[in-house]
Amino acid sequence: MSRALNGFILLALLLLVALPLLFIVLQALFPYFGEGSWRGAFSAFPALLDDPQLASMWLGTLKIGGGVALCSLLLGLPLGALRGLFRLPGAALWDLLFLIPFLTPPYIVALSWTLALQRNGYIEQLTGINFDSLLFSSSGMIGVMTLNIFPVVYFAVSRSLLASGQRLAWVARVHGASAWRGFWYITLPLTLPALAGGVLLAFTLAIEEYGVPAALGAQAKLTLMTVGIETKLADWPIDLPGAASLSLMLSLVALTAWLLQRKLTGSSDVTAVGGKPVTQELAHAGRLQNLMLLPFAVTVLLAVVLPLGAMTLSGLLNTLSGGLHLSNLTLRHFGALFSQQGDALAAFSTSIGLALGAALLTGALGFLIAWRVSEGKTRLLAMMDGLALLPAAMPGVVVGVGLILLWNRGFWPVSPYNTMFILLLSYSCLLLPWPVRYVSSALRQLAPTLEPAARVHGASRLQALRLVVLPLVAPSLLAAMMMVFAVASRELVTSLLLAPAGTQTVAIFIWRQFEQGSVGQGMAMATLTLFASLSLMLAATVLMRRQAR
Amino acid sequence: MPSLKSVKTGAISAMILTSAIMINDAQALTVYTAGPGSLSKSLAAGFEKQTGIKVNIFQATTGKVMARLEAEQANPQADVLISASWDTAEDLQQRGWLQPFESANAAKVPDQFKTANYVAQGISALGIVWNTQSNTPEPKTWQDLTAPAFKDKVTTPDPALSGASLDLLIGLQNSEGEKAWQLFDQLKANGMVMSGPNAQAVTPVLQGAKAAVFGAVDYVTYNNIAQGESVKVIFPENGTVVAPRPMMILKSSQHADDAKKFVDYVLSDEGQEQVAKAWLMPARTDIKAQRPLFTEIKLLPTNQDGSSERSAVLKRFGALFGQ
Repeated sequence: MSRALNGFILLALLLLVALPLLFIVLQALFPYFGEGSWRGAFSAFPALLDDPQLASMWLGTLKIGGGVALCSLLLGLPLGALRGLFRLPGAALWDLLFLIPFLTPPYIVALSWTLALQRNGYIEQLTGINFDSLLFSSSGMIGVMTLNIFPVVYFAVSRSLLASGQRLAWVARVHGASAWRGFWYITLPLTLPALAGGVLLAFTLAIEEYGVPAALGAQAKLTLMTVGIETKLADWPIDLPGAASLSLMLSLVALTAWLLQRKLTGSSDVTAVGGKPVTQELAHAGRLQNLMLLPFAVTVLLAVVLPLGAMTLSGLLNTLSGGLHLSNLTLRHFGALFSQQGDALAAFSTSIGLALGAALLTGALGFLIAWRVSEGKTRLLAMMDGLALLPAAMPGVVVGVGLILLWNRGFWPVSPYNTMFILLLSYSCLLLPWPVRYVSSALRQLAPTLEPAARVHGASRLQALRLVVLPLVAPSLLAAMMMVFAVASRELVTSLLLAPAGTQTVAIFIWRQFEQGSVGQGMAMATLTLFASLSLMLAATVLMRRQAR
Repeated sequence: MPSLKSVKTGAISAMILTSAIMINDAQALTVYTAGPGSLSKSLAAGFEKQTGIKVNIFQATTGKVMARLEAEQANPQADVLISASWDTAEDLQQRGWLQPFESANAAKVPDQFKTANYVAQGISALGIVWNTQSNTPEPKTWQDLTAPAFKDKVTTPDPALSGASLDLLIGLQNSEGEKAWQLFDQLKANGMVMSGPNAQAVTPVLQGAKAAVFGAVDYVTYNNIAQGESVKVIFPENGTVVAPRPMMILKSSQHADDAKKFVDYVLSDEGQEQVAKAWLMPARTDIKAQRPLFTEIKLLPTNQDGSSERSAVLKRFGALFGQ
């Protein structure tokens, strides 16, 4: 049974991750691979190493990735700890609000910040102050990206605390430790795998990100690797081998980070869920409650209200050059969305369907992978773990090219290429790391005795998995699936490359509006989809809660 | 494991279903196109109405279209390609990817915009996009943007991301030699910044963060003006370049006859009127446009010989405005 399962997982990983990656490696090594020829092996590398920008791209990417990871830690850890330890009013609402950065395409967020902060932007029109020089700098880029990415740390930490509870810390309290000592010596170390996983994900997300560096980088005089890769694919002649080898380098950075994280947290024992589940008792914040809500409110203001406000406003302005005046407000951009022969609506339903599919697929597969990996320390399982994380390090555009190279071949009897399935494959490939990370950190807190205990009492392996393991990691899994849904519903880069002729997703629709200079129209679509998907997720949360009762 | 089995059955039946869709779709004409989405859509709709042939459009930037074309080499999908950069057509012809076709409707297209293998769909030009409310004097020449009034107020598209913008640099270099590079130096000294592709350079000018774009594609801005934005397209007195949009049929096409019909349609009266409606210049001289035509714009000499010149210019400009 477990061998069959291993086989199934390996097959899935092979199709989703390994094969596209292999085809990219082949493209990097054999420049004419795309046309099916093996000639000119390795000829792409000298030109690549000759690139005068290579060193600065490396440095810039590491600087931004490290900066975002650090800032996400500084922001996500305290917020996540508060959420996971205390009974906060509106807890579910804060969670939902922190999902919003994922629902918004990063290039839209960057553009919204630009429209708000740049010279003569909304802030200056309202207050007379502009933040032009802050925005277009590496700190500005780190700031904007952190506000977009920090929720991965927040969710990792808070879910892990919610799952493990604080019974162990209370044992310490009973034995005379102060609340702070209990947190520092017991609770925090227990969340370490989740924390490390979250920070790692933040780092890889930051180095893989394209939208923000593309929107702010040029003026900040900072070229990151993703932008470098995109540039190689942007102007004629297209440098496919160059882009492929540059992406391999980028994947190596992420792989190194993953190895480092494995080394750091691999050996510690963080078992916290050992027996009968008890109802979670969250601490009462008492008089400090309002004080604790303050950082949440400030973060929501910065990460959600400001960019969202700028976005909505841009969709409501008749003309950008008209500025902020009551007479310049209009609903025509929103109205136009409904009159474009149903295009906007079709794009919306396509995106939602694909996002739902990706969430279910990566959720199921990610859970299985994390569960198998948590059970043993064999080399095969470590390889699975590594493979499942790898896509987080690959720029979307490269996954896209890899999927074309792989699937657009005459020798496949059936190919997903040129159908919606290719988009589902690409989203699932790119987002698989999320459920794997979240579930495996949750699994590490489960005592290894739980499952055997169920088996001893006569449960089959599948029953034990379904009735014991799954419910215990469900909060983490669901959080990850929500994030997959959110990210997939607005994914741009691979969609642009892979969408079958004649199909649009939300992000493609918006991108095309921008390309044609219709900023208002694009922003209106972004606003509308954001609120629509948010209400969908809200409804799902309410439904699930009702079912749980 | 019944659940896994049912998933498998589901997946297999879904695959059969989509391959059925694909077979059905194989009858359709596939057009890869850069540029105005509304235009490609209305062309496809008009063509379908006239001939009953279904058209699948893949529309993106020239770079994305070409990247997909290149990655698909092993099993080409596109029948017709419309790019925004004349160079791409020349290069594909040298590679032997194109199928010769001269449409009867191309008779009224000037010789410089057609060859035996490809023909312009429409033409855009590059100009200065200037915000009329920016409290700066209206620029008349490229040099005007080096004046103190425009200090830190000029932006330009990244020529590595915008083929048309690179054409302008090459045009200026061809006509003025080193003087062109002096101009770029002065622009740099005056605080001009390079930003993303075309739209990304224009948006700050709309909002007033910048006053002018050095070398923007005109039709996008005409569209903005039609929407009520207070900007103006200026074609400098000392000359600019046009960017014809080549349309070609790929040799690998399985639907060559339909592809020829499509090219005929785009060059027909009806097709060209739709091109004009998208604020481009029609390729045919006998179709009216709602904007200045290339005959009314002073043009810089164009002599593009090979890609070595392009990459040299790109490298030098990148070094000047990059880090």
